[in-house]
Amino acid sequence: MPKMTTEHAKDSKKAFRAFFKSLKSFRFVIILSLVFAAASGVLSLFSPSILGNMTNSAVSSIAETGHLDFEPIKIAAIQLGVIYAIIAILTYLENYLLARTTLFYTERLRTEIITKISKLPISYFDKVPFGDTLSILNNDVDVLWNALSEGFAQIITNLTTIIGCLVMMFIISPLLALVAIVVVPLSTFAVAKIAKRAQKHFVAQRKVLGELNSHVEEDYSGQIIIKSNSHEQKSFANFQAANEKLYTDSWKAQFLGSLAFPLVHMFTNIGYVAICILGGNMVLSGALLIGSIQAFIQYLSRFNQPLSNLSEIVATVQLTLAASERVFNFLALPEEAPDPEPSKTVKNIKGAIEFHDVCFSYDKKNPIIKHFSAKIEPGAQVAIVGPTGAGKTTIINLLMRFYDPDSGYITIDGVPTSEMKRSDVRALFGMVLQDTWLFSGSVKDNLKYGRKSAKLSEIRTATKATGIDHLIESMKDGYNATISEDSDNISAGEKQLLTIARAMVENPPMMILDEATSNVDTRAEQKIQDAFEKLTRGRTSFVIAHRLSTIRSADLILVMKDGNIVEQGNHDTLLKQNGFYAELYNSQFADTEA
Amino acid sequence: MLKLFRYLKPYWWQVVLLILSIGGQTYLTLQLPALMADIVNQGIVTGDQNYILATGLKMLIFALAASLCALIAHFFSSRIGAAFSRDLRADFYQKVLSLSVSEIDNFSTASLITRTTNDIGQVQQAIMMMLTMLLRAPMMGLGAIFQAYQTAPDMTWTIAAGVGAIIFFSIIILGLAMPKFKIYQKLIDKITLIARENLTGLRVIRAFNNEAHEQQKFGHANHELTKTGLFIDRLMALQDPLLGLIFNGVTLGIVWISIGRLESDASYLGDMIAFVQYATHVLMSFLILTMLFIILPRANVSAGRINEVMKVKPKIHWKDTTEGNPDKTPSVEFKNVAFAYAGAEANVLENISFIAKAGETTAFIGSTGSGKSTLISLVPRFYETTEGEILVDGLNIKDYAKDDLMKRIGYVPQRGILFSGVIKNNILFGTDDLDDKNVKKSARVAQAENFIEKLEEKYNAHIAEKGTNVSGGQKQRLSIARAIAKHPEIYIFDDSFSALDMKTDKKLREALKPETKDSVVLIVAQRISTIKDAEQIIVLDQGKIVGKGKHKELLKNCKEYREIVKSQVSEQEFAKELKNA
Repeated sequence: MPKMTTEHAKDSKKAFRAFFKSLKSFRFVIILSLVFAAASGVLSLFSPSILGNMTNSAVSSIAETGHLDFEPIKIAAIQLGVIYAIIAILTYLENYLLARTTLFYTERLRTEIITKISKLPISYFDKVPFGDTLSILNNDVDVLWNALSEGFAQIITNLTTIIGCLVMMFIISPLLALVAIVVVPLSTFAVAKIAKRAQKHFVAQRKVLGELNSHVEEDYSGQIIIKSNSHEQKSFANFQAANEKLYTDSWKAQFLGSLAFPLVHMFTNIGYVAICILGGNMVLSGALLIGSIQAFIQYLSRFNQPLSNLSEIVATVQLTLAASERVFNFLALPEEAPDPEPSKTVKNIKGAIEFHDVCFSYDKKNPIIKHFSAKIEPGAQVAIVGPTGAGKTTIINLLMRFYDPDSGYITIDGVPTSEMKRSDVRALFGMVLQDTWLFSGSVKDNLKYGRKSAKLSEIRTATKATGIDHLIESMKDGYNATISEDSDNISAGEKQLLTIARAMVENPPMMILDEATSNVDTRAEQKIQDAFEKLTRGRTSFVIAHRLSTIRSADLILVMKDGNIVEQGNHDTLLKQNGFYAELYNSQFADTEA
Repeated sequence: MLKLFRYLKPYWWQVVLLILSIGGQTYLTLQLPALMADIVNQGIVTGDQNYILATGLKMLIFALAASLCALIAHFFSSRIGAAFSRDLRADFYQKVLSLSVSEIDNFSTASLITRTTNDIGQVQQAIMMMLTMLLRAPMMGLGAIFQAYQTAPDMTWTIAAGVGAIIFFSIIILGLAMPKFKIYQKLIDKITLIARENLTGLRVIRAFNNEAHEQQKFGHANHELTKTGLFIDRLMALQDPLLGLIFNGVTLGIVWISIGRLESDASYLGDMIAFVQYATHVLMSFLILTMLFIILPRANVSAGRINEVMKVKPKIHWKDTTEGNPDKTPSVEFKNVAFAYAGAEANVLENISFIAKAGETTAFIGSTGSGKSTLISLVPRFYETTEGEILVDGLNIKDYAKDDLMKRIGYVPQRGILFSGVIKNNILFGTDDLDDKNVKKSARVAQAENFIEKLEEKYNAHIAEKGTNVSGGQKQRLSIARAIAKHPEIYIFDDSFSALDMKTDKKLREALKPETKDSVVLIVAQRISTIKDAEQIIVLDQGKIVGKGKHKELLKNCKEYREIVKSQVSEQEFAKELKNA
């Protein structure tokens, strides 16, 4: 697909300044390369003129003396040879220096972005889809890469060429130069006009393409419904309507978009012919030498090239500004509040956790948790229950300090977590979530993720306890086998077991678990439950509970509804209250009388 | 790529016109330098003003005509390219819809979507490039060589030397850089992978305090990328200056030789000017060709991905018309059915036999992976049985025409699937009964009426793409309404009630009763409460039927059923249940 130019930076000046500022440490090399680019541009301007002079001196020496005086021609040829060599060297240096600088620059940019990711509050990523951030890292950095490695130099070269050619043409013949100047803006004007119309179709094309995309996505994922309702013909007709529209917009956009080149070419040719006729007559009248026409024509064609690139350059600049805005706005996002200095730590952890009048909201507007207080004894099991979407992970977010309460505080063994370093708080908890995140790497490295110093024997103990030691050993490379989140050599249940083993290797004083085990077969589920039990034994633990046995044996049940903690207590007291918990519990086996 | 060329066939006459206009453009463009030489040699040298004007005008006409030809060529290439991709896309779409569920699973929906849009777009660009550049470059190159030879045969070697140099250096530079390019691409993928992992594992990484570790990992790959990039750039930076040297060198050579011959033949003056331009055309053409050899193979990958889908032979063959006479009374019968996924060794289902009668509910229960969803998706032939046969209304499903079988079935999937459009059209998706009464009644039975009536535009309210503007439960109720509106003989509910809360579940089943009094109802469920009143409950475990009967019978004699019940109720209630049984 051709580059789209519909993206505009919201604040071009700011975007430009930010981009410029980020280049500061490379200033010297960039300026040097651009000087090289300008120098080679200027030098190459001499070539047509010297070539023309060669012809002129040959023609005049033959006309005057009847034979050819080769000396001045030889000198000119040597001059040219030297100029060509210098141009080549300058171009190489410019290319290489810029490419090198760009590589260093983008490396730094990517590092800044990935560092930024680790410093942004989790709330940012709960709001902004991952794709956006990835696109900044991939596409936008790429656009800046392009601008720096080619764009700048291209602009400089084009500018020198346009100005230089104009000067040279005027030196050769002001009259012919005027003709050229009249013809050329015509072509620029025509190109701009057409580019604008093409733009309209490109935008339409993109819109229809988006429409078609959603059609396809919807129909492919709803294929069984289309099939079982015999809706194929009608669905196809809908698809075809968008497809037909795409055809029209696509060919028009492509056609108009491809016109710039032949158009400029046409105007060049018109200029070319006019110069031939006019210049020919001027040679006859003795106002011009034949070699000068030869040179003039070369200048004319060089003059035109950058002009046909003009719309492309404008598009590149717009893309660059838009990309730079996204990159530098991202890098300027507010980071997580810094850890307190000096910070407190918990020594000889017992695992007593207390919520003190905690209030929390995700958007600072709609309070979700209101004045929640609870005291959890060391080693107690806390079950968090509630229907799907009730916000059970909010508690985890607060405990792990992924989010901080709006008011109130949480203490661990009496120390407020807000007065501790985040990393110190998190080190106290092990976490096994429903989302079985594993990074692509060896089984061993994944299991050691929570404690890099773990010995293989310790890892084995953990895999044995979770019952996946056989599976790992049956893999081709054993503990060195490569796995990843989407690797299909292990099942979802086995991935879950690996994350449990990972938490066991870490061996933290407290645990946070999510019992939900979707997409797991019955036998793996039993293993996971057993492993969970081993993991929570003797540790203060928070479990997002789905199983009745867990809930019934919990020391404290937090009942959640619509984000809020509506009830707390143990199973028996909650049942007696006959509130939401009782309703929830009974719904597992409702209307026994029916 | 070549296989896809058949899509050009309907536009063959446009292709012919395109080739003709490119030929014309090439021919006319190549005449210009010759005419220029004529002006110099015959006009200027002899001092003939009229000749200059006449030839000049001729040049102007040629130039305009050449531009017109180029315009026509672009017109056709744009149209052919767009038409090509439209036709290919339409075929591809129909192909995908004709695939069976297991075939679609093989490719994954996401990948099929990319193939329909991106890959076909890539191929379209390639076709357009072929139709213009790939056609023009050789014509222009060969034509220019011919013209150059005509102008001055003894200077043609300069062009040959230039072409030789271009090919030589391209091979060396690309030969050295290409392997590194592949490494570079892999490193880019690696960097993206690590970044993606950093985002998807945000919480885990922070929980394990591994931010610094991840940054180090990323930094390592990032630096590796820069190092590889440096090697490539050191080579690629050579390309521009070398090409410049070749172009300039050839020009200088031509001027040098021509000037040397001016003494003996004055016509070398005009010839020189023409020859330089021919040389430029030849070198440019070769340059474009080398470029195309790098670009086009990429489109080939896309073409391969498209063909991969197009060449799939559907495993399920439907009869054109139903062969045999289905019974008037609906029924579904499984006779010793076994099923295995393609390529899998073990059967997912084995030895499944049962009869589901009209006016009765047959329910399936079992743990995850017991095969209950697979079982009922065999009835609409989403998958093909490996052994045994399934009879619908007494007739083997393999003897039905597709639409004849489907019109008997109202299928409600696990997850509510809706299509963008108004609510009404979603409900009427599978039926010919387009009456508003039907819409309202179906919504009422499916317990969807309440929330629809609350919407401002009621039944004309818009459903966003994939139904993202309605909740999961609402989606599910609309899905059920869609099945009811069809008045099917056989209802299939694939765990369709779990997204509903208890009360709605109960109400819905009560409202559904009179609707289904003459129909077969097959229902997969997780909650005992949903199915305990069913006339027939089939308990599945690891693909086999381990119990068949009513709730109370199964409580007495099916171990697996008892376990399921036990896991869902308290001990006291369980004891009560057992006593009642």
